[in-house]
Amino acid sequence: MTEPLLQVENLTMHYTTRAGELSAVDNVSFSLKKGEALGLVGESGCGKTSVALTVLKLLPENGYIKEGKIIVNGKDIVPYTEQEMRKVRWGEISMVFQAAMNALNPVYRVGDQIIEALEEHQPQMTNKEMKQKVTELFELVGLESALMDRFPHEFSGGMRQRAVIAMALSCGPDMIIADEPTTALDVIVQDSLLKEMREFQDQLGMAMIYISHDVGVIAEVSDRVGVMYAGRLAEMGTAEEIFHDPIHPYTMALMSSFPSTVGEKTDLVLLPGEPPDLLNPPTGCRFHPRCPYATDVCKEEQPEFKEHSPGHLAACWHPRGEQS
Amino acid sequence: MRGYLFKRLAQIVITFFLFLSAIFFLVDAQPGDYGNVFYSNPRLTPEQRQQLKANLGLDQPTWVRYTKWMSSFLQGDLGISFSNYPRPVIDVIAERAPRTIVLFMSATVVSFYFGFMAGKLLAWNRGGLVEYASTIGGVSLYTVFTPWFALIMIWVFAFRLGWFPIGKFIEPTAWIGAPTEVNDVFIRLIFTALIASVLLFTLLVSVGRLNTNQRRPATWIGMAVIAAGALIYWLNTGLGVYALDILWHLTLPIITLALISFAGSMLLTRNSMLETLREDYVLAARAKGISEKAIRDRHAARNAMLPVVTSFVFSLAFAIDGGVITETVFSWPGMGRTLLTAANAEDIPMVLGALVFTGTLALTAHLVADILYAYLDPRIRYA
Amino acid sequence: MAETTITGSDLVKPDSLWRIRLRLSWQAFKKNAALFAENPVGLIGFAIILIFMLMAVAHPILINTVWDPVIYDPVTGIDITIPFHPSPPSPTHLLGTDSFGRDVLSQLMFSTASEFALGAVAAIVTVLIATTIGAVAAYYGGIIDTIFMRFADLVVMTPFVTLLIVLSTLFEVGMIELAIIIGLLGGFGSTTIIIKSQALTVKVRTYIEAARIAGGGDARIIFRHIIPNLLPLSFLYMMFTVTSAIFSEAVLSFFGLLNIRMSWGLMIFTTQFSGYLLDFEKWWLIYPASVAITAMCAAFYLVGRGIDEIINPRLRRR
Ligand SMILES: Nc1ncnc2c1ncn2[C@@H]1O[C@H](COP(=O)(O)OP(=O)(O)OP(=O)(O)O)[C@@H](O)[C@H]1O
Ligand SMILES: [Mg+2]
Repeated sequence: MTEPLLQVENLTMHYTTRAGELSAVDNVSFSLKKGEALGLVGESGCGKTSVALTVLKLLPENGYIKEGKIIVNGKDIVPYTEQEMRKVRWGEISMVFQAAMNALNPVYRVGDQIIEALEEHQPQMTNKEMKQKVTELFELVGLESALMDRFPHEFSGGMRQRAVIAMALSCGPDMIIADEPTTALDVIVQDSLLKEMREFQDQLGMAMIYISHDVGVIAEVSDRVGVMYAGRLAEMGTAEEIFHDPIHPYTMALMSSFPSTVGEKTDLVLLPGEPPDLLNPPTGCRFHPRCPYATDVCKEEQPEFKEHSPGHLAACWHPRGEQS
Repeated sequence: MRGYLFKRLAQIVITFFLFLSAIFFLVDAQPGDYGNVFYSNPRLTPEQRQQLKANLGLDQPTWVRYTKWMSSFLQGDLGISFSNYPRPVIDVIAERAPRTIVLFMSATVVSFYFGFMAGKLLAWNRGGLVEYASTIGGVSLYTVFTPWFALIMIWVFAFRLGWFPIGKFIEPTAWIGAPTEVNDVFIRLIFTALIASVLLFTLLVSVGRLNTNQRRPATWIGMAVIAAGALIYWLNTGLGVYALDILWHLTLPIITLALISFAGSMLLTRNSMLETLREDYVLAARAKGISEKAIRDRHAARNAMLPVVTSFVFSLAFAIDGGVITETVFSWPGMGRTLLTAANAEDIPMVLGALVFTGTLALTAHLVADILYAYLDPRIRYA
Repeated sequence: MAETTITGSDLVKPDSLWRIRLRLSWQAFKKNAALFAENPVGLIGFAIILIFMLMAVAHPILINTVWDPVIYDPVTGIDITIPFHPSPPSPTHLLGTDSFGRDVLSQLMFSTASEFALGAVAAIVTVLIATTIGAVAAYYGGIIDTIFMRFADLVVMTPFVTLLIVLSTLFEVGMIELAIIIGLLGGFGSTTIIIKSQALTVKVRTYIEAARIAGGGDARIIFRHIIPNLLPLSFLYMMFTVTSAIFSEAVLSFFGLLNIRMSWGLMIFTTQFSGYLLDFEKWWLIYPASVAITAMCAAFYLVGRGIDEIINPRLRRR
């Protein structure tokens, strides 16, 4: 077996806020192989973006990694300095931001913003080669190459999104994290863009982490899926396993709202109860206040994130709702 | 961009006429009228008083006087200054306006440049004692009682250190036997500065096309050439000493005024920069792995500049007021001091002339800020 | 944070409305006060204001107890036991006397109250006008908006001090007139522009829509829904108006253009008038008043910035 591209081990990340420590990522472990597509799904506020930002160590001033390892191509980047991180960023891992619409600087030409990344990571390239590269990237994502001399405000939402994807592809990263890459777009554009993204990924042999709150989106593009709840991974397995044989009651609830014909979209079902307050997360299993199968043990002890069948992991005291 | 600028220009012209009308009606609303200085003389008989009034055209209805005033204004006639009798107001303005423009422009450019740099660094290195110290220092400088500040500057740099003269525009004794007028030398100075800045701007723009490692030497060489050109010109005219005398008197007022406006730009830039730093494109730039300095300057500061230029309009009035105070404390004979002397002498035509000048200055600066903004923001430049 | 009141629920139970509002405002106030107290910048400003308030209160007490009005009256007093005025600081005159033999400390303290009054009047006038115009212009838009905003452009580019110099030659300007003029200039100028742009964002918020559907009249929407949400910003601009009012007064008095009996600016004018302006040995003739003006202006400005960091979350650290 080849060594994974990215291996996240027991990652815990907190935000220091006025009201106290907010545990946005708690003891999360997963790995990603070359060329693989991993989907991360969960309700709004469950910490998906936080996981992505932590992997790139792009946390805001008040966020810090409390524990864990982030192993990229065999090296743990947690102790890396900002200077060392600069090579990892974009060169090894690039990202399509949740608010990709605003990820382009309004005062520079779109092409120049891609060239800026190239200048940083491929300094041996001449100006002409860089232009050539941008042209290729634009063609790849389906934009006319003349658009590279335009400013972001002259682009439509979908075009901007494509430009941002071109930018993420520019330095030939090993993996791309796409945080809600299509949320802001209308459904038709969303659909075609997702398909195209999956195509580039296969074509360029990159690994990809797709993040979305939309189960349909995840179903469409992912090989493996991680379900997040309140900063923790609730379950992880192949797309097939997650959609057809969920173990965690939270996943089950997610899937019950999701028609079995993969490809159709529905929004996440509204579970009874409130999403948890991460400032004071519930004890034990964080899902217990909303879980129909919860028992005393769920309230007191945190379930281990363990393998139920090879490659299918879940953190639950009552897998599939069984009362043992 | 042309559409935008045309619209702004039209707005500014309208504002200017509104401003003129406002001035007219303001003066008209005063108790009595501006002829008061003349016919308050108790020896005048009521008939004579009436006659005087008629001579000054003050017996006519408001709107007639209004149209008259406007049309003579448009012909460049602002009346005679009582306190500089018999010089026309426009003459006094022509003599002194360049001085104030120079003072205002250089102080504005200097304070904006340094204020922007300081504010940028302040926002970037947020936190700790430095932040509070510089905020409080900045606010103190921003709210300092300006005349007092000017006095402290005089005390430190003129009395204690003796680096600069205590005030005034020139040292009269040094000009005995000078081959030409003070204003002639001053105008030449202005032209030198103007040409030099145009050349400098061209230089900086063309240098931007070069490779990163060629930029710096090219800039230095270019600047040296411009400086040498100016030097050769002044050595040739033989007026260099006089020019230096003017500059020597000019420096401290410029520094003073620049410092007063500096804090405002700094505090403004800091806030603008703090907001920009939260933008997604700054996070995206960081994710691209580019250097911290490039993130700070190329992405954050470049965008933070836009709101700073916009609010230049708000600080404009403040800077003009600062100029009036600085000129007064330094006994520096520009338009600001002229306004105040005229006010104390109740020389209303001169006061109005000075006010018209101020309005023109403010509106021109406003227009320059608009052009600059349009240039800096592609959303307008390529709209 | 900017909303101290919650408005959508008004329509349900009108009787308990005021109590709910009061409770919410009190909670918001407590929270904001705690935020304010965390920021040294605002606190320093607040402390300076308190010191000045003490000075303002102490002056009449001192005049009625330990200070003999004949000697210590800020305008008419003179100490004839001292042969030459201005005299340097001494135990009887802690900050010395001016060229007319009047006690500098007494003048300084006496002036404080009127500076507060000046600032308060100017700030209230400004904010009343700016908030109303801002809300109305944002709500109706169109021609009303255009007229007020063009006018505001005109006022914004007018330098206060310069205009006031002109006004003081044309009219008799005293403290009250000055306060009102400054209030008007602020109220029709920059403050309106800023408050209007805030009002625009308030207007588009959904609950305003809700209130409209529920059949509130225009006036009701403006005064019950838009204006309450503008108040924090208005309060912030009150602080800035106080600064500019005190500053303008000081400068005009320094130029000898105001018709007033005593003020910090006038103290420096007196110094200049008697030819001591460049006599740096006699620091007590310039420094106390100048420091007072600067400190008071800075204090209100600092408080303003402290408030700004509360109501503008983008400036906040977290
Ligand atoms: N800078 C921050 N400071 C404090 N708390 C934060 C910060 N950023 C995020 N959080 C909190 O961390 C939690 C996780 O946020 P995150 O943005 O990772 O969620 P998400 O799953 O990406 O949600 P969404 O689907 O809305 O994007 C949330 O409760 C959020 O309020
Ligand atoms: Mg997110």
